[in-house]
Amino acid sequence: MRALIDLIIKNKHWFLFILLEVISLVFLFSYNGYQKSVYFTTANDVVGTTYNVISGISSYIHLQEENRNMEAANEELRKEVYELRQQLDALQKDSVERMPALPSQYHTVPAQVVNSTLHKANNLITINKGEADGIRPEMGVICSSGIVGIVYMTSLHYSIVMPLLNVNSKVSCRLRESEYFGSLIWERGYANVAYATSIPRHAKVKKNDIVETNGYSDIFPPGLPIGIVTGIDDSSDGMSYRLKVRLFADFPTLREVSVITDYFSPERRLLEDMAIDPAKQDSVLISQEKKKAEEEAKRKEEQEKRQKAEEDIIKAELEKKYAETMGAQTSDNQKTEKTDTVR
Amino acid sequence: MSSIFFSRLLRLFILLFFQVLVCNHIHLLGYITPLIIGYMVVCFHRNTSRVSILLWGFSIGLLFDIFSNTAGMASASCTLIAMFQPMLLDIFTPHDAAEDFTPTFNTLGFWNYTFYVLLLMIMLNAAFYLLDAFTLNDWQLTIMSIMGSSVMTTLIIIGIELLVRPRKTPASLS
Repeated sequence: MRALIDLIIKNKHWFLFILLEVISLVFLFSYNGYQKSVYFTTANDVVGTTYNVISGISSYIHLQEENRNMEAANEELRKEVYELRQQLDALQKDSVERMPALPSQYHTVPAQVVNSTLHKANNLITINKGEADGIRPEMGVICSSGIVGIVYMTSLHYSIVMPLLNVNSKVSCRLRESEYFGSLIWERGYANVAYATSIPRHAKVKKNDIVETNGYSDIFPPGLPIGIVTGIDDSSDGMSYRLKVRLFADFPTLREVSVITDYFSPERRLLEDMAIDPAKQDSVLISQEKKKAEEEAKRKEEQEKRQKAEEDIIKAELEKKYAETMGAQTSDNQKTEKTDTVR
Repeated sequence: MSSIFFSRLLRLFILLFFQVLVCNHIHLLGYITPLIIGYMVVCFHRNTSRVSILLWGFSIGLLFDIFSNTAGMASASCTLIAMFQPMLLDIFTPHDAAEDFTPTFNTLGFWNYTFYVLLLMIMLNAAFYLLDAFTLNDWQLTIMSIMGSSVMTTLIIIGIELLVRPRKTPASLS
């Protein structure tokens, strides 16, 4: 026994070494269980606030450049507005209705990037809006030039976004012209190049085609720009095309982003889950019954309210009449008292 | 004792902030990023308690992980080099050195110090980037990241040494 204790004391650094390595590896592998690990990431409030202050300072330093870029963008937009107005005027002459503009029915929450990485296999972006602003995991994140990524985990005031530049990111996409669809993946290396895979062989593909979201997932609405095709290649099994796509979003300088908060549809998610796992059907039915019961209760409550309101109106009218009669018979006090007691 | 503790704590925070604010934003050629938090482990003098080296290494690694969303990767790598630092230092220490021999640019000499730091940094970066990639699919890129980052980190550490401890006599170069 004593020999064992001696051995442990003599080699305590080895035991400590193994313990610390095990702790590190547990952190490494439990990273996906995000509820637990949010304190060990940049979504934790202290670190998030630090980054917020730092990025505030650095954004102030870059303000001049930003202004110049903004001015250039403004100039371009002004030109574009002018051109579009011209086109609109031309079209309005022979069409009754205008085409709807870009999907404006979606509600977005603006946010700023406070930290991001570009050089790793699993890059992540931290933004300064969280659950308190209505952001939940699996919401889509876009910037002015294209889509950025998907919200991965959230804390109260910060969220971590898995950008397109992550080897685990997979976004369904389509070619704007031919509407053939595939999925967009990223491989380590360049921060502005991704690959659209699984595009069928019979699809007509050419360089400078625009790649956009196809709306199959409930994360992004269809038609949001992703990038432009710069190279056409075969997939490793030769069954489909593998397109090199230059991304529109400029990740190294990304700062202003928006999170689409209401495209996410729980009902659709539930239905899809149900199709995969019929065991969930019961819980869905129960929840539907519950919903019906709640609706009925609500209806009853509303009816009662309405009745009460009607009663109130009648009462108010009666009181008014009573007051009028009071005004007419001010001399006869006794009578008024009598009516009062009757009431 | 406490003065040593506080000086190490100060070093930890300075290195951490330099790493997070400056080095994390350097991506030379797209894949080289220096990990100067390794300097924390490099500095421990001979016969420092191994438990203390391990704990300091683990702490700076963990703090770095929290700031860069790399849960567990840097803490595992820093603990690894903290384990091997005393053995490596013994190889490079002259036989007649004092008990609390501190590895610096002046005491070890240019080449010995460079090799000592480079070996530790290769170990650190290899562990870090292998845990990051966690696959050998793009091994060329991983190896380039490891070697590039090790060399760059070593250069920065030597730069820091030159700044903090300027050479006194040319004789100490030998």
